[in-house]
Amino acid sequence: MGWRIGVDIGGTFIDFCALDEKTRQMHTLKVLTTPDEPGREVMEGIALLQQRHGMDPAEVTSFVHGTTVGINTVIQRKGADLALITNAGFEDVIELARLRMPEMYSLFCARPEQLIPRDRIFGVAGRILADGSEAEALDEQAVANALELARARGARGVIIAFLHAYRNQAQEQAAKAVVQRLAPDLFVFCAAEIWPVIREYERTTTAILNGYVFPRVDGYLHSLEQALRGRGVTAPPMITKSNGGMMNIAMGRSSCVSMLLSGTASGVMGASFLTRQAGVPNALTLDIGGTSADVALIIEGRAQFGTGELIGEFPLYVPSVSVTSIGDGGGSIATVDGFGMLKVGPESAGSVPGPACYGRGGDRATITDAMAVCGFLGHAPLAYRSVTMERGKAEAVVGALARKLGRGLHETAEAIIMVSISSMFAEVNKLVARYGVDLGDFTLVPFGGAGPMMGCLLARELGIRRVMVPRRPGVVSALGGLVAEVKNDFIRTMFIELRAEGLAALQAALAALRAEAERWLRPDQNFAGVAALQVSADMRYRGQSFEIETVLEEAWIEGGDLDAIRAAFHARHTAIYAFADEAAPVQLVNLRLVIAGATEPPDFAVQEKVAGTPRPERLVDVWHDGALHRMPLFLRENLRHGHEFSGPAVVAQEDSTVCIPAGYAGTVDAHGNLHLAAEG
Amino acid sequence: MDKVTLQVFANHARAAAENMAYTLYRTAHSTFVKETEDFTIQILDPAGQVSAVPMDLGATWYVGLNYGPAIGMIPDYRPGDIGATNDPYSGFLATHAPDLHMWKPIFWEDQIVAFASGHIHNTDMGGAVPASLSRTLTEIHQEGVRIPPLKMYREGALNEEALRIMLLNVRKPEQNLGDLKAFVGALNTGERKVLAMVKKFGLEGFRAGQAGLLDYAEHQAREILRSIPDGDYFFCDYTDEDSAGGNPCRLALTLRIQGDSATLDFTGTDPQLTSALNVPTGGAARHTLLLVGVYYVLYTLNPQILLNAGLVRPFTCIAPEGTVLNPTFPAAVGMRSLTCARLRSLIFGAFSLAIPDRMPAAPAGTSSIMNVRTVDNRTRETVLAAINPVVGGAGGMPHRDGTNGSGADGAYLKNTPIEITETEVPIQFLRYGLMPDSGGAGQHRGGLASVLEFKVFSPNTHITARNRDRCRFRPWGTLGGHSGKPSDFLLNPGTDREKKLGNTDITSMDPGDVLHIHSPGGGGRGSPLKRDVALVLQDVRRGYVSVNAAAADYGVIIRDGAVDEAATAARRAELRAGETERHFFFGPERDAFERVWSRDVYAAMTTVIASLPVHWRFFLKSRLFEMVPAIAQETRACPVTEAVSRLRLRYPEMFTAG
Repeated sequence: MGWRIGVDIGGTFIDFCALDEKTRQMHTLKVLTTPDEPGREVMEGIALLQQRHGMDPAEVTSFVHGTTVGINTVIQRKGADLALITNAGFEDVIELARLRMPEMYSLFCARPEQLIPRDRIFGVAGRILADGSEAEALDEQAVANALELARARGARGVIIAFLHAYRNQAQEQAAKAVVQRLAPDLFVFCAAEIWPVIREYERTTTAILNGYVFPRVDGYLHSLEQALRGRGVTAPPMITKSNGGMMNIAMGRSSCVSMLLSGTASGVMGASFLTRQAGVPNALTLDIGGTSADVALIIEGRAQFGTGELIGEFPLYVPSVSVTSIGDGGGSIATVDGFGMLKVGPESAGSVPGPACYGRGGDRATITDAMAVCGFLGHAPLAYRSVTMERGKAEAVVGALARKLGRGLHETAEAIIMVSISSMFAEVNKLVARYGVDLGDFTLVPFGGAGPMMGCLLARELGIRRVMVPRRPGVVSALGGLVAEVKNDFIRTMFIELRAEGLAALQAALAALRAEAERWLRPDQNFAGVAALQVSADMRYRGQSFEIETVLEEAWIEGGDLDAIRAAFHARHTAIYAFADEAAPVQLVNLRLVIAGATEPPDFAVQEKVAGTPRPERLVDVWHDGALHRMPLFLRENLRHGHEFSGPAVVAQEDSTVCIPAGYAGTVDAHGNLHLAAEG
Repeated sequence: MDKVTLQVFANHARAAAENMAYTLYRTAHSTFVKETEDFTIQILDPAGQVSAVPMDLGATWYVGLNYGPAIGMIPDYRPGDIGATNDPYSGFLATHAPDLHMWKPIFWEDQIVAFASGHIHNTDMGGAVPASLSRTLTEIHQEGVRIPPLKMYREGALNEEALRIMLLNVRKPEQNLGDLKAFVGALNTGERKVLAMVKKFGLEGFRAGQAGLLDYAEHQAREILRSIPDGDYFFCDYTDEDSAGGNPCRLALTLRIQGDSATLDFTGTDPQLTSALNVPTGGAARHTLLLVGVYYVLYTLNPQILLNAGLVRPFTCIAPEGTVLNPTFPAAVGMRSLTCARLRSLIFGAFSLAIPDRMPAAPAGTSSIMNVRTVDNRTRETVLAAINPVVGGAGGMPHRDGTNGSGADGAYLKNTPIEITETEVPIQFLRYGLMPDSGGAGQHRGGLASVLEFKVFSPNTHITARNRDRCRFRPWGTLGGHSGKPSDFLLNPGTDREKKLGNTDITSMDPGDVLHIHSPGGGGRGSPLKRDVALVLQDVRRGYVSVNAAAADYGVIIRDGAVDEAATAARRAELRAGETERHFFFGPERDAFERVWSRDVYAAMTTVIASLPVHWRFFLKSRLFEMVPAIAQETRACPVTEAVSRLRLRYPEMFTAG
């Protein structure tokens, strides 16, 4: 019995979820971030937990931390000066990327400035072919010459990436040895060590991201470990990962790339824990903060995974929880153009200066200001009392737009909300079409500071009939850390036709991956509990240019049941693309293995059931659906298990505000989640 | 409809179009849809005008496509019907035979409120050559089976007979069928989404919303035109060849801006060709193919612009009949993409004259699509595969250098990883990257070309490279910026077996042969003498510009990796003295060509050609190209007049025909 702590750092706040296993109570906390001194806020939070809840640091059995230090390093371009050593003739692979650019109608479309400028990219002779054979020996002298120039041009670290190294790492390793021998002061990463998968751009850019953030992440984790120890926390700190799992600090310090998206991933994992607990199988999670709005799908209880998620302007190709950005959050700015059209975003007031109503110098109307003018916000202190709502300021900025539009103040505020909801609607629709799912079977789970404010409105636009607002929407990402498993991904590029001839290689690869995974989990992570393995393969019909990940049973590979593997692929292909081509030859491109060491699920206290309707704090006037309504304001802490009520209503709590339109009925479950269902 | 509801409506309309596009993309079978994204999706108003398109999926060409004429060729519609055609000469909807267009009327009660529509590029539609495309084809009948506008579905039931005719005539029937089904799925999705919109906004609201979207786009386009000075802006640009190994083909444009509207007069454009490089437009005043360049210009000037048929309302095009931009039946049109690329740079050039401050220099202007057919020595299987498209850089921009290795109007293309190609195809890449010194020198340098080199290991390896152009006439620079370097295509470069392939689009290779291809580079913008010396040094260090080119083009002298300030000042002064104030910098090849084929001489040729019946025109042009350069040496009078009088004697029929 002890304390389990999940910590997540966001743009403005750092969130704490602390489970006291003796009382089975969860305590939450938000502390303002200290961007200049990352890590200090963690200590501040620990101190507050000690003061407020009597936590003894020595009793902390698990400390799981998600950090944005990696992703911020990329976004702010504050990473290490790197050199890239690659094959001569292929120095421009990272600049050309995959050619296609997103803004395809613009003559000014461009790719982002690379993390390694071309004058620190060095081509050397040496060549491995697609079958892993060596066509040309590595020119080690050329590596030495490149190092000299790299150092002269300011490189602090070296990335080595050679063609087909996922098949044969010998040349990368030989070049690495040269670097270690001649330049021991430079850190060095080989691309095939970071993520040994076929496709040179994807593998190289992933390794570059790793090296780019390495010094900062390493430094941060090192000082965090020291500080925690200094505070008396003896449990080894764990770091959350983009794949929704966690790893120890030693691993985090070298495999920086696997934590870059841990914040958004943890949110989805936290939400998926909550939906599982509440018996909700399919969910659309909606995480809105001041500067971002993200959605993710949970299908049959499982988060969805993918690669190619963006880190700032750069795609990342390690497995990550799939999260899609659908807008810029509560700070999105509204404007009126020359035709009189009302636009919301893409400009954002961010967290600084933030919405006008926060009184921190914002002077343009944002979504949050519109919510304030309508009367949804401002009934209780916001964001753990760190923000004071000045409704007058919101009215002034929204009023300026109202005059341009020739509409009333409230009508304008509601128009801003409608326009922004409709643009999120368009983005969610793409996601839905991509996955081919029917949102009619889904529950929207809004969280983040601004998610519950917009959730019901977006659900209504999308035709989603059920909304579940977690008890503490502001700390769902921190909760994700609390429930994370010790988890890692392994991959082996096979690129074989699914035929008997390839079977031996497949069986050998599986055995090797399993040994690698066991080594990672047991000695490296020092994990003693129950572990689960999941085997899958990226497969395709010959001639296709992309693969589909299909979950396989180990026995199929071990027993040589190729028909079962093929059938699983046809089924998966049908599920995603609505057809299968049973006559076509199937290729197996990559074999994957995920190992996950289970964490004991947290056991939260269950509320006793009461009956009846909650007592409103008071009645408030809110402009909603074109008219002023008097509706009840509830405080979240007064909503008890079993309570029932009908919209329209506002629920205020210290980390968020829930806006409930007319036509929704609310009930509270045993864990305090608020379930809203469309009536009729 | 009020403007707030209209914005909400716009988002829903975009969502409906994007839903269709993602459904098609997800469920389609062929590489053309999956990899090259050669498909489009639209929501049409009842008149067949585009009201919404997806923003991030598919091709960029059909924002202003008018389905009206083709829709009208089917007499009555009932719920569940789906119309289809791929015939370029039926309503000028399909622009070459591989493109199958389909449209589904969407009924609300008994009225058509909209159509869901789109096109997919089929890998093959039959005809004389695999994939149905070759510039050597001379009439539409060689370019595949043609389906006139007909109902592919009647009240929900597949028109099996029409389908069987199509599938019997094509080389990959299973792919065409798979894509057709995916396409129908997308149209049905569009129907569902549109009906949901009618429910949400009401019938009147939906109609008002559709009209409002077009009005809004029109307003945005007019607002941009108002910001452009009134005037006539003449520009012309050339493709290197009007047929395999042929003469240049000129496209000419007078862009007339008057207040908030514009006329694009293509008079002066070459006669239609006896090759597949014609662009079928029917001479429609607002045919989408004539206006693709305009979409790019408008979007570049205002990225918030709504893409639909409203954008084209302020524009009127004049494309004289019997020219390459308005060929008459049965001219072949399969390879119109090569000419369309030049048509876009033609439009960019005219706008550059009108608003020099806001326009970039010419992008590379051609993207070679490479395919290989070879035999794997280990398996003895024949392998057919697409290799990377070879795309060039963007032109120097007002605010920065041109994007390297793709960009501008080539930004939609994707490449294939080297490692994937080498695993699947028995070839070995020797080089894939950027071509040094290929970007036009300028204050803002043109984007570099991309270069590809590979080796093959089997005899009779067959290579096709579609859209070969710009080996001769370079992407132009503007405002003192130099032209980009031309493209080239070589077999076994630097050996005694070197063979210059230039604009050739088919070649074969033997074991051990190496093929080199590089695209053109983008044009530069602004005088290279104004480029920051530090940036020139950086370009040299990055390998984008050689030390020699830094000295020759930029006047920056670099010794031992550092700038020699004194020598640089002297060199720049020397170069500055030789600079001329020309808007365009075309490069020596076009300058030399236009010394013979001046604007006046070309106008004389255009006049005489236009007076002839269509079937004589290409013939006369070819003869004039043989004769005029020599005659121009002899006489100061118009060499065309002289040549025509000689031809009159040789071919009296020519002038009495018709």
